[in-house]
Amino acid sequence: MPQLRLQNILFCAAVLLLFASGCSKVDYAKIDDPAYLRVFNNLNYVVGLENKDEEVPFLTMLIDPEMDKDGMPVKAGIKGDFLDQREPYAPPFPSHVGSSVSYKNPEYPGKANVLVGPVLNGFDLSSWAQIPSGTHRIVFMFRPVNNVPFFNLESRLKQKVLIDTTITLDSKEVYTLHVLQKNFLTKKNGVYLRKENFHKLSLSDSLVYVNFYNMSAKGFQESDDDAKEANRKSGSLRYGIKENMNIFQSLFTSEKTMLSPVYSNTYKFMGQLKRNSEVLEVSKYYSFPLFADPKSNGIYTNIWQRFDLMAIGMDPANNPYESYNMKTEGNWAPINCMLDGKSQLQGNDNGAQLPNMIVNIHSGQYNPRSFATVNTIEIVNGNVYLTTVQRKYAPPIY
Amino acid sequence: MNTRKSITQALLLIPVFLLLVLPSCKHNDLEIEKENENFRLATDFIKNNYDMTLFYAAIEKVGLADKLRENGPFTLLVPNDAAFRELGINRPSDFSKMNQDSLKALVQRHILTRRLLFSDMPHNGVDVRYKTMAGTEVYASMAGYAPGNEAFAANELYFNGSPVTRKDVTLANGTLHMLNKVMKYTPQMTIQTWLLARPKYSIFIAGLKRFGLWDQLAATGSFTVFAPDNEGLKAAGITEASIAEMDAQKYMGTRLFGSYILPRTHFFLSDFEVFRTNNGQEFLAKKIDNDTWYSFVFTTKNFFTKVITGGINLRTAPAYPNEVYGSAGAEVPALSDHLFDNGVLHEVKGVLLLPEQALKK
Repeated sequence: MPQLRLQNILFCAAVLLLFASGCSKVDYAKIDDPAYLRVFNNLNYVVGLENKDEEVPFLTMLIDPEMDKDGMPVKAGIKGDFLDQREPYAPPFPSHVGSSVSYKNPEYPGKANVLVGPVLNGFDLSSWAQIPSGTHRIVFMFRPVNNVPFFNLESRLKQKVLIDTTITLDSKEVYTLHVLQKNFLTKKNGVYLRKENFHKLSLSDSLVYVNFYNMSAKGFQESDDDAKEANRKSGSLRYGIKENMNIFQSLFTSEKTMLSPVYSNTYKFMGQLKRNSEVLEVSKYYSFPLFADPKSNGIYTNIWQRFDLMAIGMDPANNPYESYNMKTEGNWAPINCMLDGKSQLQGNDNGAQLPNMIVNIHSGQYNPRSFATVNTIEIVNGNVYLTTVQRKYAPPIY
Repeated sequence: MNTRKSITQALLLIPVFLLLVLPSCKHNDLEIEKENENFRLATDFIKNNYDMTLFYAAIEKVGLADKLRENGPFTLLVPNDAAFRELGINRPSDFSKMNQDSLKALVQRHILTRRLLFSDMPHNGVDVRYKTMAGTEVYASMAGYAPGNEAFAANELYFNGSPVTRKDVTLANGTLHMLNKVMKYTPQMTIQTWLLARPKYSIFIAGLKRFGLWDQLAATGSFTVFAPDNEGLKAAGITEASIAEMDAQKYMGTRLFGSYILPRTHFFLSDFEVFRTNNGQEFLAKKIDNDTWYSFVFTTKNFFTKVITGGINLRTAPAYPNEVYGSAGAEVPALSDHLFDNGVLHEVKGVLLLPEQALKK
């Protein structure tokens, strides 16, 4: 009898708990008619002794800001704060959400807790933020490097406008927005909004796609080398490349050396690369087979990619420069997409380092399994950046 | 029987009673570290600090002692006594010899009318400007951390090139940072007027005039000047008389005297420490205008005293293969980092190039 009573009490408590927790109403954030936007801060100059009066390229993005009577922003529809210089690699998934311990955000949305894009035509757009479509006023502000949110800063620190402009975003379209230096001599900055089309193309999942942009500032390559304080990692690219370059692609299977090339894929001509930081058109996607290496088993491949950018009229077969030449007058700049993008080729190599374009990850019963991706290589002044977009893939089975 | 029982009970209670009473008799000396809650006001703190006696004397002299007892908040950038001694101020009475208005301005330039803690500074901030009580601005720079190395921060602070040896001292009405160098800023004065008022630079001035480099120092642009004094120039055989005899057409004036001036830059010697930490820039090789040679600036910092000294030399190229010519520097940190509205001047001793080396071939 007392046992039954105890059961009754427990049962009542459980029912109460169910009711109590069922009462809260959740308002899900929803944006009708969104456009998808990803923002990069490509201002990659280093403030040093000679240019110490230049602003530190650490930004806040304000979409549809409200200004007070002095022109100082007090509120914004969308705020992307702590926007740091972008990292060499923009991965297919916003991985910094889980791994970063810094307040700095290498891209927007990146770590920001906002609504992100869905899987669109197979492509995972979780690195793109949902923004209401239509015309927006967008302002990029310089901000001091600290973890104080933008609107809590002292008012004198909220007045340095990098650019104040308007952009129009169409519904259900995918955009990348770049903050760029437009002119190296006048240090004029600007933005560059590109409407991506990879989700509309009929791309095969057994080919790896890549397109190239040279968004360098006008006059960078022509300037004196001493004026170019660049990232050490970008090899001979640090001094810039000429306005027009040819792209040659090679594939290798050997780790950190160029000893075992995939023979059908050595110095293959891909196309031309023209410097362009104004015209907003998507470059052509070039491709190579995921399993180009005949020795691979069709599940996993260890090939890595090398792109030789050479001035028009030059050929990799009779390259006048040696692989240790850092100064190539902008005529030759190799890019190695190898391992995690942090290790160099053995020996003195002048290649810029980027991670491998092929994503190897545990999927289904295979660990690892290689996936083809859609890539964008962007050259900005002396640095090079890789953005990888990947299709949704099967979860691992353990 | 009953009485006896109650007595036994009472006897039993005695040890219990003793147990209760006796432990309270023992007083263990329990030391609890208690944070000081009685922070002093700015004036009183400085008055009680044996390494700030000269700055206190200056405050007293210019009548700011009462002001600094007010609510504030203030941030005091206090040079220690050694810093004043480097300038030849050894005892409080030496302040009487100074112009009282400029002394007052000097003290006021060491006081910010706000509370500025180290944590208020932007990370790796360079030349962040803060208003002083004198109405001028002070340049604050932070040697924070190398890119991607936030876990191993150096976190050193500099005001107008003066290193902070002790930061964030709490005051009841603000905060205090201790400097090992007096900040030297002369408002409404150009580098040219300052040099002109000092006879120990007469040879340098004569040289600049001879080669048409003098007039620019009155302009607004920014300049960093390493001014060699007469003593050093005379030791190398350069005098006003020898300069007067020179035929300006036969010498490369840009090398001979232009190398001491770095136009379009303004840096304190501490900026080298700041950029060494923040982005690994160790030195500055600046090409001389209208010449192919380079002025090369370098600094060293004493690990213990945080004293920064530096100098300049002349070289044919920034790095090897090159030829390095003479160099000039200063041992006393008080000689460097004179701030003006059109740049920074560092007093040095030495010669970069002898006249015969600058002859056109």
